[in-house]
Amino acid sequence: MTTETIDTAAQPVPSSQALVALFRSPSGAVGLAIVGILVLCAIFAPYLAPHDPLRMASGPRLDSPSLAHWMGTDQLGRDVLSRVIYGSRLTLMIGTIAVGISLTAGLLLGLVAGYASGWAERILMRIVDVLFSFTEIVIALACIAILGVGLVNAMIAIGIASIPFYARVTHSIVLVEKNKPYFESAVAAGAGHLRLIFIHLLPNVIPTLIVIGTLGVSTAVLAAAGLSFLGLGAQPPQPEWGFMLSSSRDLIARAPWMMVFPGLAIAITVLGFNLLGDGVREVLDPRQRAR
Amino acid sequence: MLKFLVQRLLAALVTIWVATILVTILIHLVPGDPVRIMYSGFQTTDAQIEEIRTRLGLDQPIYIQYFMYLGRVLHGDLGDSIVGAQPVLDTLLQRFPATLLLTVTSLSIAVVVGGSLGFFAAYRRGTVWDFGAMTLAIAGVSMPHFWLGLILLFLFSMYLGWIPVGGGGWLSLILPTMTLGLANAAVLARLTRSAMIDIFDQDFVRTAHAKGLPKALVLYRHALRSGLVPIVAMLGLQFAYLMGGAIVIENVFAWNGVGRLAIQAVFARDYPLIQGFILFFATVVALASVVIDLLYAWLDPRIRYGQ
Repeated sequence: MTTETIDTAAQPVPSSQALVALFRSPSGAVGLAIVGILVLCAIFAPYLAPHDPLRMASGPRLDSPSLAHWMGTDQLGRDVLSRVIYGSRLTLMIGTIAVGISLTAGLLLGLVAGYASGWAERILMRIVDVLFSFTEIVIALACIAILGVGLVNAMIAIGIASIPFYARVTHSIVLVEKNKPYFESAVAAGAGHLRLIFIHLLPNVIPTLIVIGTLGVSTAVLAAAGLSFLGLGAQPPQPEWGFMLSSSRDLIARAPWMMVFPGLAIAITVLGFNLLGDGVREVLDPRQRAR
Repeated sequence: MLKFLVQRLLAALVTIWVATILVTILIHLVPGDPVRIMYSGFQTTDAQIEEIRTRLGLDQPIYIQYFMYLGRVLHGDLGDSIVGAQPVLDTLLQRFPATLLLTVTSLSIAVVVGGSLGFFAAYRRGTVWDFGAMTLAIAGVSMPHFWLGLILLFLFSMYLGWIPVGGGGWLSLILPTMTLGLANAAVLARLTRSAMIDIFDQDFVRTAHAKGLPKALVLYRHALRSGLVPIVAMLGLQFAYLMGGAIVIENVFAWNGVGRLAIQAVFARDYPLIQGFILFFATVVALASVVIDLLYAWLDPRIRYGQ
């Protein structure tokens, strides 16, 4: 085997170069800016929020947006702006923990299934396919039915619900990598199972999963907001955006600002992660850029 | 074609079969005693709890329970709902038409709006129109469905007063279907655009143009017909997403479908109803994907003739 036959397409772009490219792509730059602002909001929430997000009667009840309360107040007189700012902490936590759970489990499952081949692979992927067709919300509901209502349980439920998706992606990458010369030569050199999986396959799977994980944060944030909206996730008095929307429902006519701002916060966050994901994909896959 | 149909039906049956296994395992994963959790809202004696446990077969080994459950399911018996004190299947079937109406109407809206937006963006690729359409689409993808629902409710029912809140009749169908349809139109617009761009670049389209065929004819006869194939292939997944989305949207608009029932069941810890819902949902989605696969085969002769 000559060195020319070794595929170099999967070689990762050097990180500094990738970051510059990310800033040059319009969607990547906007996405990065939104996510950056969100992270800053979460870190500096106590300094940015004008009021205590949990303190009732920070102002009059259901007060419309004013200089004192930029986003108005809710039915308990709490400052909506402060609650939205503190909500960024919960949202980022939900997004990263849920994606962390599904990424880790999906990665392991996909690696094992793809590496094992034969009947083990077929059974594992068949189960994954079936779970995938159930859709995430139904799996999440099943998990909450088992674990009970609450924000932590909702996070776990969303994490579990997305495992089939990550397992599928990992599995398909492993199938490609297994036929590459570097892997075949490692097998020929007599590398053990664990070495083949963790030293040879894993590093080649991770770059793609990072892209998908970025996009996955937006799905997780949407799902968590949905569960909290239904009352299955965050519980009072947590300043969670989905939950804030659900308490605004009966007051839409009287206090539309209670509905507008938390929803806007969710949409902008999800947009940020979607754009960032698109940008990262453009950087890693130049074919997309030509379009 | 027959082989294709049999293959798809078998795959659907496997999905439903795996669902029965998962649903049996579900109740055993509940931390604590599922019977006591289910009946925590009722006054029950220990003897009654044991009687219920025996009746549900929860005192048997798990594999026996599974075969008991499978046997009952095959006879169309999904058990009794605890809160409603009614057979689960009856409750689900009673509520399902409302959900089906909601999802099918929404899917049509999504296909028409999203399909035309994506087609238009691909046709005007690289122009301001394309950029505008895709900005709209990514905004739509990022918006929580239920938030869109609340906005439409505020705008059309409260601010403009055009549609009464929960008035019943066909008027009450407008807002939920618009919400679910438009939210999914955004996803379809993105898919359609990339599918159509691939088609526009292909030789047969260029040849058709070069032959001097009228532009409209090339677009509709050649490009759109081939473009439909990958789009229809996506519809199975879209239908599943819509069914999932309906769970949340039904709760926004107090729409009495299976989705609202499912949430009530989760709150009440009504395990027979939750199990029944999951099995029912899996069955509907599996059968719908068979129907969509057939449509796909009809559109794409390569599949019809078994290549």
